[in-house]
Amino acid sequence: MGQETGLFIYGIVPSDVEPTPDAEGVGTPPGEVLAIRHGELAALVSEAGLEEPLGRPADLTAYERLLDGTAEVAPVLPVRFGTVVTGEDAVHDLLAAHHDRFADALAEFEDRVQYTVHGRFDEREFIGELLAGDPDAAALADQVRGRPEVESREQRIRLGEMISQAVELRREAENRAAVDAVDGLVVADSPRQPSHELDAVNVAFLVRVDDEEEFVRAVEEFAEQRRDLIRMRLIGPLAPYDFVSAHQLVE
Amino acid sequence: MSVAATTGSPGSALERTGGGGSGLSDVVETVLDKGVVIDAQVSVAVVGIQLLEINARVVVASIETYLRFADTVDRMDIVPKDQKTLPDLVDGVAGAAAKGRAVSGLGKAAQEISGAVADSIRGGDDGERRRRRSRER
Repeated sequence: MGQETGLFIYGIVPSDVEPTPDAEGVGTPPGEVLAIRHGELAALVSEAGLEEPLGRPADLTAYERLLDGTAEVAPVLPVRFGTVVTGEDAVHDLLAAHHDRFADALAEFEDRVQYTVHGRFDEREFIGELLAGDPDAAALADQVRGRPEVESREQRIRLGEMISQAVELRREAENRAAVDAVDGLVVADSPRQPSHELDAVNVAFLVRVDDEEEFVRAVEEFAEQRRDLIRMRLIGPLAPYDFVSAHQLVE
Repeated sequence: MSVAATTGSPGSALERTGGGGSGLSDVVETVLDKGVVIDAQVSVAVVGIQLLEINARVVVASIETYLRFADTVDRMDIVPKDQKTLPDLVDGVAGAAAKGRAVSGLGKAAQEISGAVADSIRGGDDGERRRRRSRER
């Protein structure tokens, strides 16, 4: 296309949102973040060199910090990382073409933020519980312990598979329990794919700002009840990444 | 405003991590493949840029996983779990700390989180956690 820069789009916000001067975008040096307004909407963008590859850790972090910081003060629709358009005209075209749908979606996110509950099983604790409660697994464990892998490979695979299946079952149960634990305190929930074989809980929640404290207390209690078994983390507040369906807004 | 990579009240079973202040693996997991897609076929204005390859971890149960679980069993002491010895406990704690370190490569950046976007109507320098946008629209 002959030009050297494009506009990296972070997200879409209501038109009254203004980036603060300290907001830093992707790239080296970090791009200045601007709002391009159209009707009731604005797109948060920064200039990005087309030659410079994006996706370094610093770029991803800048993208997320901008969106999460924004979500704390205003509703925001994250735009997928790496979306770069030719220039300001293209941003206007984009906002004009989907104006009402974006505006409706933003209205739904008013005063709402995402929190992700992510827990991981303590491996020994989990296996200890399983062996204590499952005689078949305990019997296999006895055949495995202290024997070299070449001699006990078959038993090891069977035992490992049992453990793996038990983790999956327990994970489903814990995800449901997490959803139940915050029942009435969230607007929506969205289970996430496990990111580790010992993932115990991974669910995103959309929470009304007014309910945040109570929600956090409920998650704390949920974590406390599983203190030894699951290392529980609460990530947020975040922009509503898991509640923007990729294809529902732009066809 | 959320600050710092990992916080939590002392003794709490829940670790708190602010958005964008978490380790790279959290960032990748949180943002990758999320958000509105503006399809290049719909908008000719979308520019193909060079994106570094970012892979989310996909968990697939495999023989390696099974053997690793069995290996853990092999290494576990045959002590009833309610009679943990002190070395066991210490070992567990050290393990957890090491895991935490492995995923938090962005500690410095995490110290600097600030409101990226403020309200054009009310300035919003009161540091209050509540949203500051006027609702009259």
